[in-house]
Amino acid sequence: MRVKVSNFVNGITLIGVGGVLLDFFFTGRLDQYLHPQFRVWTLVAGVLFCVTGVVYAAAKSTSQCCIDGECVHQNANSPLRSLVAFLVLFVPLAAGVALSKDSYDQHAVLNRGFVQDITKLPSRSGSLSVQIPNDQVIPPQALGADMDERASEPLPQDTPGAPPDPKAAANDGTGQANPAVPSSDDTGSQYLPKAADGNVALEVTDLLYAEAEDSLRKMFADRTIEVIGQYLPGADAKQFKLVRMFIVCCAADARPLAVPVEVSGPATATEMSWVKVVGKAVFTQKGDHAHVVLKADKVESTDPPAEAMLY
Amino acid sequence: MTWFTFTWQNFLFSFLALAFEGLPFVLVGSLISGAIAAFVPSKMITGILPKNGVLATLASGLLGLCFPVCECGIVPVVRRLINKGLPISCGVTFMLASPIVNPIVALSTFAAFRGQAPWLNMGTRLVLGYLVAVVAGLTVRQLRPESILRPGAVKLPTRKRLAFSISPLPDAALAGFENTFSQKLVGAVRMACDDFIDTAIYFMIGAGVAATFNTAVDQQIILPLALEPTLSTVSMMAIALVLTLCSTSDAFIAATFVGFPIFARMAFMVFGPMFDLKLFFLYSVLFKKRFVISLGIGLFVLIGLVCSRFLIYVYAGQGL
Repeated sequence: MRVKVSNFVNGITLIGVGGVLLDFFFTGRLDQYLHPQFRVWTLVAGVLFCVTGVVYAAAKSTSQCCIDGECVHQNANSPLRSLVAFLVLFVPLAAGVALSKDSYDQHAVLNRGFVQDITKLPSRSGSLSVQIPNDQVIPPQALGADMDERASEPLPQDTPGAPPDPKAAANDGTGQANPAVPSSDDTGSQYLPKAADGNVALEVTDLLYAEAEDSLRKMFADRTIEVIGQYLPGADAKQFKLVRMFIVCCAADARPLAVPVEVSGPATATEMSWVKVVGKAVFTQKGDHAHVVLKADKVESTDPPAEAMLY
Repeated sequence: MTWFTFTWQNFLFSFLALAFEGLPFVLVGSLISGAIAAFVPSKMITGILPKNGVLATLASGLLGLCFPVCECGIVPVVRRLINKGLPISCGVTFMLASPIVNPIVALSTFAAFRGQAPWLNMGTRLVLGYLVAVVAGLTVRQLRPESILRPGAVKLPTRKRLAFSISPLPDAALAGFENTFSQKLVGAVRMACDDFIDTAIYFMIGAGVAATFNTAVDQQIILPLALEPTLSTVSMMAIALVLTLCSTSDAFIAATFVGFPIFARMAFMVFGPMFDLKLFFLYSVLFKKRFVISLGIGLFVLIGLVCSRFLIYVYAGQGL
């Protein structure tokens, strides 16, 4: 009886763990927790947990698990062990399904400290760089490539053997313009992604990269840009920080990136809510380092982006 | 801001992230472990070792490459192998090296440090883990078995421990799974599940401690520890001692301590799988307490010196 109870509880624990992993994967909540490369592992593990849990619970247990006269499996059939496993493995995960808000609050962001130099952050190895006509290399992250895979694809003229086909490149079949495809615009700005309203759509990382990259500062100068991030109140109502979290593997290693924003009137967003800021990036030189401030014309609430984390 | 501010929102977010990232690796390691337990006899391992004691010790440090077992499952395996005639020096080397020098850990270390010189960190971890284990094994070779082994531990061990004992890897023929392939397969799954449950309990506890540490403790307090090479290395090894993480997933947690220099995090990843609070109790099943304490101190000093006095320059040379 003890063996059956133990097997059943262990099986339930494994199936429960698998169920939680699959729930987070299929509801999309997992996107807030893991880098995309790790998500598929969670899916596979979720399925395996369920399968092994069923096998474990259903299989006939053997009492012949002794070696050299030493029974080394004696606790495997202990209901106490199974109960501990259930409480430690399944209950916290199940609690997470119900209670987790899938994000950090303001305290965690402040506690982790803002990244001072974005160029010191680990970046995706082997990623592509876009060559602009003056042979300067701009990191793909600086052009939002990590947020839009199409933007990190090599341009037709950069692909050996591929004939240039601007029409095909400009339309990927979705009817939407590829932000990485050059238009007939002036040099440099032709690579900037555009929002639906015509503004230059940038990420917080783009502005921070621009602090260290003169060519980017020139490209962003005097353009109306829009940036989405989380609202972190500042010292007074006319300034705040626009925050995005950067992760390497999972949310546990998340580091906040922030751009200071100045507004003409008081901003009314709630802490850590998602806002879209429309305005101009102003770079001021302090010593040998440039610092960006986003002078906002408009701050409005918005939905979180498809990928709340930056990678 | 006080030094400790706990909120469930931050704790759950960090804890779940660690769990979602690490549990698949623990499961994969357990499944491989179960498959080996069911399909590979232990004597095959002793059979491939050289007759020469030193060479056998050197070779034992590499057994994990084809016999991957994390530190949670290694003690019963080593005890059984010693019972079957494996020299103790080889057993200690295998016990210390296998949780690091194995393909699962190599893969997880590479993945965790993606973007942070993954090849260098993975290689450094494996090489350093191997060398430290061999040094420990060769040292043990100079000692008499009766001064190391707990009385009766090998032939008739006592197992008066808590409910979550470590699942062993019994030879399939001895465990009653020898009849058919399907029975062996079911046996492998059952042993893998037991391995997983035993290991994952410690992993979840470690993830909970790590999540609390990462979200509730004021990082400004820790910052001074990270600035001085020796202090940062000692601190990270002390954290490894307390967190008792599984080697298959501890790299992911080490990667989160971004405030600490990389050589200190390497000390965390090499020392932790070899010795922590959980392993102290596990080793005590097989070895005398005095030897276990000496082993812990020796590993702490050796790894600390190598990381803070040598690795620091290796990484500096790489611009890290």
